[in-house]
Amino acid sequence: MLLTPRNSFPMPKLTQSGFFRCAVAMLASAAAASAQAPKPAPAPPKTAIGAPAPNVAMPASKLVQTGGSLFVQQCGFCHGRDAGGGETGPDLTGSKLVAADINGDTIAPVIRNGRPENGMPRFDLPDGDIAALVAFIHFQKIEAASRKGGRRGVDVADLQTGDAEAGKRYFNGPGACSSCHSPSGDLAGVAKRFEGLKLEERMLYPRGAKAKVTVTLANGQTLTGELVYRDEFTIGMRDSSRHYHAWPASAVHYTVDAPAEKHADLLAQYTDADIHNLMAYLQTLR
Amino acid sequence: MKLSFWQSSLAAFLLCAPLAAQGVDASILLKPPADSWPGYHGDYSGQRHSALTQITPDNVKNLGLHWAFQTGQVKQLKCSPLLVDGVLYITVPDNVWAVDARSGHQLWHYTYPPNKGFNIGSRGVSMYKDWLYFMTPDAHLICLNASDGKVRWDVIVADSKKGYWTTMSPLVVSNHVIVGVSGDFDNLTGFLKSVDPETGKTQWVWNATPPVGTPGATSGGMTWMTGTYDPTLNLIYWGTGNPTPVLTGKPRPGDNLYTCSIVALNPDTGKLAWAFQPSPHDTHDWDAVETPVLVDATFKGQPRKMLMQTSRNGYFFVLDRTSGENLLTTTFGPTNWAIGLDKKGQPIPDPAKEPASDGRLIAPDEGGMTNYRSPSFDAKTGLFIVDAHPSYGIYFAKPADGNFGWAGADYGVWGKGVLEAIDYQTGKIRWSHDLGPGGSGAGVLTTDAGLTFTGDSTGNVMALRTADGKTLWHAGTGEQMQSSPIAYELDGRQYILTSSGGVMFAWALPE
Repeated sequence: MLLTPRNSFPMPKLTQSGFFRCAVAMLASAAAASAQAPKPAPAPPKTAIGAPAPNVAMPASKLVQTGGSLFVQQCGFCHGRDAGGGETGPDLTGSKLVAADINGDTIAPVIRNGRPENGMPRFDLPDGDIAALVAFIHFQKIEAASRKGGRRGVDVADLQTGDAEAGKRYFNGPGACSSCHSPSGDLAGVAKRFEGLKLEERMLYPRGAKAKVTVTLANGQTLTGELVYRDEFTIGMRDSSRHYHAWPASAVHYTVDAPAEKHADLLAQYTDADIHNLMAYLQTLR
Repeated sequence: MKLSFWQSSLAAFLLCAPLAAQGVDASILLKPPADSWPGYHGDYSGQRHSALTQITPDNVKNLGLHWAFQTGQVKQLKCSPLLVDGVLYITVPDNVWAVDARSGHQLWHYTYPPNKGFNIGSRGVSMYKDWLYFMTPDAHLICLNASDGKVRWDVIVADSKKGYWTTMSPLVVSNHVIVGVSGDFDNLTGFLKSVDPETGKTQWVWNATPPVGTPGATSGGMTWMTGTYDPTLNLIYWGTGNPTPVLTGKPRPGDNLYTCSIVALNPDTGKLAWAFQPSPHDTHDWDAVETPVLVDATFKGQPRKMLMQTSRNGYFFVLDRTSGENLLTTTFGPTNWAIGLDKKGQPIPDPAKEPASDGRLIAPDEGGMTNYRSPSFDAKTGLFIVDAHPSYGIYFAKPADGNFGWAGADYGVWGKGVLEAIDYQTGKIRWSHDLGPGGSGAGVLTTDAGLTFTGDSTGNVMALRTADGKTLWHAGTGEQMQSSPIAYELDGRQYILTSSGGVMFAWALPE
């Protein structure tokens, strides 16, 4: 199956209208009721803000249907037609973010802003469409919970095949993890903060890790700060007082200190057993 | 104003007679004039190389925007524009625009009715005489009148309710409109279909895999992208996609022909001449649908009719396209999933690298070492230039995932974008040019002046010197290029067309 690349998309401003929250609440609760939800439906909003729009009057089943069509078109390729996971996109029915969502409060920002660090584009959709998508995702979550068997995702239990002692040896030996990390320092309690696939993904490559850049200007002045932007032509940083500076890359000398990039170097070195053993070891750091 | 006899006669003549021959015929497709780009790849070779030389390494620094066309759509442009008779045809799913190639103004806009198909992308229309051929998310083939965008006929190519959809730009060969299909959330048979350009009637069907439900047999082999054509051998060359179930190989033992394959077919009958399989028994979703590029040149001192592919699985193949004989197999980035090559030059997959319940670290990731955007071949330097994506992913599958559709899960770990210039004679990378973290995904165009056009991972469109990969020009466009550039010349002026987001950009030197 063909794929769009892992894009880096600009982040648009977050907007969320009162109408939207209201519509989602009504729809999500109606959807939940129609599917005989195992847990209580979200409470309806206390006040409705803004003029009623056609979607508000739309029956919940119709909204879920509308959301389903939209979902297939806009989301289905990555997240699967039934929101159960597809190409590169996770199973939304098992998502913690979806479980925590009330009236679209966590789902809608992700749809609008995307998750550029994970390759998810932003979707500039009308409020009514997003309300329908949220209703459909909640409906599918309930559907999935009522289905027996079938699994598209990775359970914590799947990632328990390693040997913690061997993992510790790799950590201190061939992996040289101990040159940057310490089980009693930065990694103390890491297994309480992350688990399962999330822990493994962060172990293999911590996306979005901050890098430091030191820029030497033509006049000899040196600035150090957080690397914010870099392409072949422009270098951008934020200094300690959070001011943004940028230069043509050709006009300055700069060095980037990105210690997390060492994770990428290890990818060519690991055996699968090394990864499973390291996971076993990290899971002892509670 | 008073007109002389000759002036008024001339005016009358011009009013009565068409200005020039209109539309696309076989001669244009076989040898596209400089003022056209009449098929997905430009010509039939898939080299995505332009003979134009007005824009040079010396003057490309003066390149500027001539016009931009805004689709006003959230859907990204993933099409290769078609240019015929001064009119460009560009698409996103459910939408076709006719645009004046000189000014960028819209002539007409066709919209397909709302439907339930996947909106993954539209690679563009194709043309035969005065008719356009457009494929829809719900797997219809629409024939439009190129002059006004009115529907002439609409035929169903595959049943979208079963899980098929379409994205590709059909290949027109003589009186055949050859179309392919997509879909792997279901166990379906991939196929190619030849359609009569006048009536929409099916002429032949070639199935990539046996009927669904055949015991022990694979399904899948989707025909996602536009193939190439050798008029002398009268063979079309097509890549096929992954088998299904996608990440679980147990229910489909063996090589799973003809999935992840390059096939040569007779365009008049659909009969298979030969096949080569870049990924036997794939379990990583690595379609072999990247452009099968046709090159006539010497290989190790011998003149050859070759086919080259940088495949999604990380391997570069050079074949003799008369027979499918393998001339060269090499990798163009890190791979860790094969234990060697078989006697046909095909990689042998390592069973230990099939997806497993506790995960397998695989290079490249599922997006692959390259994807659907076109590479380019530059004959002068003998370089095959491709947007590469060195990357790692983790792949999972266990019995509970079942035997249908995706049947597993995978996650990208890390990747970056690198433009690589491969010497086709040796497979060695002569130069590489970093395109940024994550990956670029932009297509590549080379020109006879020695320029290479592509894009980076932050949305810059760039011109590089083909000989050594040095950047000579760039412009920020706001989003990554998701398409492959084209070039044309009108009124003595050379244009380069690139897109990003929902905007098409026409670049040219100052007048």
